[in-house]
Amino acid sequence: MKRNLILFFTLLAFASLAVTAEIELDVKEHVLPNGMKILMLQKPGVPRIVCHIYFKAGSINERPGITGLAHLHEHMMFKGTEMMGVTDFAKDDVINKRIDEIVDKIYREKFWKSDGGDKEKIAQWKKEYDKLVKENKQYIIKDDLWTLYMKNGGTGLNASTGNESTGYYVTLPSNKVELQMLLESDRMLSAYFREFYSEKDVIMEERRLSENRPGFFFSEQVNAAFYAASPYHWGVIGWMDDLRKATKADLIDFHNRYYVPNRAVAIYVGNFDPQNIIQMAEKYFGRIPKGLDVEPIRTYEPPQYSEKRMYGEGPAPTSLQMMFHTPQDGHPDVAPLSVLANVLGSGGGGRGRFRGGGGGGFGRLYKILVQEKQMAVSVSARSRAQWYVGTFQFSAKPRIDKKVKPEDLEKEIWVEIEKIKKEGVTAEEIQQVKNRSKAMFIRSLSRASGLARSIGRAELNRGWRSILTGLDDLKKVTNDDIKRVAAEYFLKNNSLTAVYTRQMGQRQGRRR
Amino acid sequence: MTMKKTLTILFAIGFLFVSLGLAQVQKPSDLKFQPLKYEPPDPKDFRTEFANGLRGYIQEDHSLPLFNISAIINLGRLYVPKDKLGLDSVMSETLIKGGTKTREGSEIEERINFIGGSLSFRAGERTSTLSLSVLIEDLDEGLELFFDVLMNPEFREAPLDIARASLIQQLRQANDQPSGVLSREYEHLLYGDHPLTWQPNKATYEGITGADLKAVHSKYFFPKNIILAASGDFNKSELKTKINKIIAGWKNKSLKIASFPKKFPQPEPGVYFIEKRINQGYISLGHLGIEDTNPDYFAVQVMNFILGGGSFTSRITMKVRSDEGLSYNQGSRFRYRWGFPGTFSGYVQTKSSTVGYAISLILNEFNRIRREPVSNAEMETAINYYLESFSNSFESPQTTMSSFANLEMTGKPMNYYKTYRDKVKAVTMAKVQEVANKYIHPDEAVIMIVGDFASCNKGGDKWPGPLDKLGKVHTINLKDPLTGEELK
Repeated sequence: MKRNLILFFTLLAFASLAVTAEIELDVKEHVLPNGMKILMLQKPGVPRIVCHIYFKAGSINERPGITGLAHLHEHMMFKGTEMMGVTDFAKDDVINKRIDEIVDKIYREKFWKSDGGDKEKIAQWKKEYDKLVKENKQYIIKDDLWTLYMKNGGTGLNASTGNESTGYYVTLPSNKVELQMLLESDRMLSAYFREFYSEKDVIMEERRLSENRPGFFFSEQVNAAFYAASPYHWGVIGWMDDLRKATKADLIDFHNRYYVPNRAVAIYVGNFDPQNIIQMAEKYFGRIPKGLDVEPIRTYEPPQYSEKRMYGEGPAPTSLQMMFHTPQDGHPDVAPLSVLANVLGSGGGGRGRFRGGGGGGFGRLYKILVQEKQMAVSVSARSRAQWYVGTFQFSAKPRIDKKVKPEDLEKEIWVEIEKIKKEGVTAEEIQQVKNRSKAMFIRSLSRASGLARSIGRAELNRGWRSILTGLDDLKKVTNDDIKRVAAEYFLKNNSLTAVYTRQMGQRQGRRR
Repeated sequence: MTMKKTLTILFAIGFLFVSLGLAQVQKPSDLKFQPLKYEPPDPKDFRTEFANGLRGYIQEDHSLPLFNISAIINLGRLYVPKDKLGLDSVMSETLIKGGTKTREGSEIEERINFIGGSLSFRAGERTSTLSLSVLIEDLDEGLELFFDVLMNPEFREAPLDIARASLIQQLRQANDQPSGVLSREYEHLLYGDHPLTWQPNKATYEGITGADLKAVHSKYFFPKNIILAASGDFNKSELKTKINKIIAGWKNKSLKIASFPKKFPQPEPGVYFIEKRINQGYISLGHLGIEDTNPDYFAVQVMNFILGGGSFTSRITMKVRSDEGLSYNQGSRFRYRWGFPGTFSGYVQTKSSTVGYAISLILNEFNRIRREPVSNAEMETAINYYLESFSNSFESPQTTMSSFANLEMTGKPMNYYKTYRDKVKAVTMAKVQEVANKYIHPDEAVIMIVGDFASCNKGGDKWPGPLDKLGKVHTINLKDPLTGEELK
């Protein structure tokens, strides 16, 4: 018995790194034999526990033809398992297999043939499909998992898919974490993708919602032009054609490859006894077999060697964007770039986010372009380091009433960039960013759910401690670093400049 | 080889050890949960009276070295006279940036930024909030800046100019987002020409002067018209002393808030169409709702949870999204506002060809919840959700203090949270059906659609058009947001 306990504790690495004299991020770690990581952060307060699971699976794991699949898969994880969402699995399974066969025939006819196939045949199969779907309904318990979570006081119930990872969220009363362990391990083990084809319709509606946001099509094209080769080229929502043609087989393949315990981390933040969490995790997540090792993505973004420019018109506000390729998360230049973004275009008045700048209520560019020269209504700078790529982006909206053009703002921003290459920024500006980073970090510790998100995501890439080392890196940034990175990355042949002009009364692109 | 074997045995024993503590569980109904007791915090324990009748809800919270404070002021959009519409937005932009008697706005912002704090002001419908968050080591400086902005704003001309220009430029986009157009026009249809629905335009923004802002500030920003909410790593009595010292000379005014008409037009039921060349219809259908002081409030919440408020567990979502795949976002909601009935609406966004079909499905659900009692399982899910998630409202001490301040500001009973769970528990199945009949009236509903009329009107296989099958079709012409004149 004693020996087992020792084994237990050697598997546990108690980590506690000091950030400032008074603040610690006391994350406890436990690794299951199947490779799944359990992270725990105790936080006093109300008797509730934030329970999140993150998978190393996102849109960068897709390829042309299956874009949007990671997000579609996230939706399908709510569509039941062999245990959940079904009254008689054996009968349900038979019907589902027949549905898949019929749809396979329809897709081959409709999508494989260049003329769209035999309409009559398709209509006949569609009838059979409708009949089977109707028949299947008697065995389906709608949104079983969601209902069960809600009935047990689950809040913050959601899931989200990004370029690199996918997360599943629920916050439960502190006596009910076992429910989360049971349901989440169950869907990792035996997800069964019911109602796949109607859920594809839901996703296409989700895409249409984005399309109807003014400026969406332009942003989508700008992103695709900026990332020419890497899988950041397509958006998380995916191209409409791929959504329409995605098959159940694509989905199952994606699931088996990426939704495995060795690519997953579960994180708990709240009021609990870590030993208790570990015991339950061993029992529930421990029963899932380890998956195969999968090669990381191959295609990084190659140098672009030439300047890119894009022009668009439509119903969104007239605006300018200037984007530059920068290194990925973990590179030593990320910290100086982040400091620079904050100096140039950070948010004031409580509206800005720290990490990487943004907002635009206060930085140096705001002072010059909004307050002094009165050429812009807003201007911001933002640095974002992702797992395999990085971007530094300026965004600005010109003063229409003063007849300012986006190109005028572009010139002004370049003047400032060139100045920074020579002189850098002031010591006070750097100190201000350092103070802000410390304060924002401490403030982030008060928000359990956001904290779980940053710890969980960081863990999947370079380990959760990278949150702390990132803060230490910021503290070390000097003015020489700033001058160096400005000279290195702010080059025309490393940039894309996008000019958008507001134009009313026309459709945003071709309608479907 | 031997090494591996030993490890396997160790792991096996490890699992045995683990399983001693937890019986085998196969399905959710096998789970047994330890009882959990939770009592909400009592507002009385936090209420504090400062000098000059300033009130506050203050909680010491020593978990992090932070200081948060908000001032909730009884002033909002609704109190702005018709020829000064937009003054609330201009004030939101300039209360801080416009500086104070002794400080330029940029000086305040630079200081706040330097110490890594945040300071923001937002004017709402009837309350406005100034909020500060700083590290506890900056408490004194933070308090000084916070109260300087609250008590002595100067609304200087240069920042005011920038704010007006920015707001006028934003006006140009007022008709761009289909969702924004829908919510504005839906309210306009239900409340009619009323302070709740008045919109600023270029001329009203241009007419707002520093003197107007100062006059409004002087009329509403006084101790007895404000409630504070604060939390953080301080000693409560020391904080009280500090605040009292700063506000010692702050004088009260006499203020009588005007009463507003509570008579609203009864729009003719039917379809109200707003043309926009997009590939979906954005839809709201319903009528005015209730005030949250209504004794039926809790029953209405439970009823609406089942109808369309309980996300995936609700009927509208199950039918429209899960069954039919018609939409990503759908449901029903009761919106509440202080002193007026709120709105009730079913909502959905769906591709043009299924607009009529989705509306017909939502109307079916409106009728069904009136006609038939809800099921035991639905009742259980809804009630347990409210009971079991209750403690979530108190996760953040600062949010809790703000909730208490808002209760007092809007004159709600201070035992609202204490009695909350009992009131939820008291809702019965019969009561749910009763309030469905009392507060949902499909025959009086207006159906507002923003979309491409030709394709929405055509419909699809499951619901061929035209839309006038749903009632008389009215066309709404949007106004030019710059002039307030109707667009051709």
